[in-house]
Amino acid sequence: MFSQYFGQYLLNKNIVQIDQLKEAMEQQRSTRMKLGVLAVNEGYMSAKQADEIHQIQMQKDKRFGELAVNAGYLTEEQLDKLLTFQPKQHLLLGQALIDCGYLTMEKFGGALTCYKEDHSLTDDQFSAIKDGDIDALVATLVKFGNDENKQVLTEYLSLFSKNMIRFIDDQIRIEKAVLPENYRTDWLVSQEIKGEVSLYTAIAADEKVFLQLASKYADEELVTPDEMAAGSVGEFLNLQNGIFLVNLSNRGIELEMEPQTVKHKAQISDIQSGYLITVHLSKGKFNIFLSSQPHTLNVE
Amino acid sequence: MAEQLKILICDDSMLMRKKMKEVLEQCGCKDVIEAEDGQTAVDMCKEYRPDVVFLDIVMPNKDGLTALTEIKEIDSQIKVVMASSVGTQANLIKSIKMGAHSFLQKPISSEVLSELIQNIQNEGGDAHV
Repeated sequence: MFSQYFGQYLLNKNIVQIDQLKEAMEQQRSTRMKLGVLAVNEGYMSAKQADEIHQIQMQKDKRFGELAVNAGYLTEEQLDKLLTFQPKQHLLLGQALIDCGYLTMEKFGGALTCYKEDHSLTDDQFSAIKDGDIDALVATLVKFGNDENKQVLTEYLSLFSKNMIRFIDDQIRIEKAVLPENYRTDWLVSQEIKGEVSLYTAIAADEKVFLQLASKYADEELVTPDEMAAGSVGEFLNLQNGIFLVNLSNRGIELEMEPQTVKHKAQISDIQSGYLITVHLSKGKFNIFLSSQPHTLNVE
Repeated sequence: MAEQLKILICDDSMLMRKKMKEVLEQCGCKDVIEAEDGQTAVDMCKEYRPDVVFLDIVMPNKDGLTALTEIKEIDSQIKVVMASSVGTQANLIKSIKMGAHSFLQKPISSEVLSELIQNIQNEGGDAHV
């Protein structure tokens, strides 16, 4: 996920042009190697075991390597060895830009240093982010200020990013957007979490992206925003919130959630508090709306 | 034997109902009906007496746990499999206490669903036929 942020940084700083970045990202994508594939290739795991871990990974907020070790399919030593084989995505991006002649090695190194300085990252933070630690990336780059629920919000967004990568698009980049007083959207899929922690959660998208999300999650092409498409995006949000509740339940915090709702041409008005997060996809973008004070919202 | 099972899938997501039905049909189960909320599931249980019910928890018009209790009151022999993304400690405990057969955490893979339905067949799930 860091490679998307680093790519955007290179664009913002005018170090590369949009077409050059797209070309390099295509090249990067074609050389991506997943840990499961590496484990099978090395003969550490069978394809059936790798599939089994991928299935479990969809239900639990844990990494492939951790689950495979817990299941007894990989030893810690084997995992360490595999991780050294797995190239870091931003390095693949840098390599692609250098190979295409759009960036020199010196400029690449300089840009990494500037990125760290511009975001006031410590060595440990930057190292974790470069290693693909999504929790660290979200916590570092999306701030919730003095919100008393900032830890919960950060955890929620981190899990959302992981689920987006698992089920929808592995090239996402999220960033905070300005919260308007009134917010209109083509499609609004929302669900409320209640209990010790209250959270209004919503996915807001235009019709094209709504159908894109629905098709990806359903794993079939959906061309009209019908009940199936609504059921697909609704189920994705339901899954995200369900796993979020399971994570908190494992720490002794029991919450409940309301059924998800899907609204066409919806509006949230007189917004008193909350956060609007833009999720950039490989193609298109949508917003997540989060508010820890659902009672202050007026959703029409 | 699988085709003899009468199965009810209850989930407010049309996608989930469709995906589960496809897998069950691939397993040879031909008698599969659907409900989109808890109350409809309870009503269908009264009328059709399915052998197995797959029941979501978070749904409009009667949640899955309430529906589970009512279905068990209608016929305690109906095997109710909770199929939900909210596999919290509280929901797992409540489901077991209320007599659920098992709990499937979403997303549900076709392999897990196939294996479960085969196990239910082996347990004699066609008692209602």
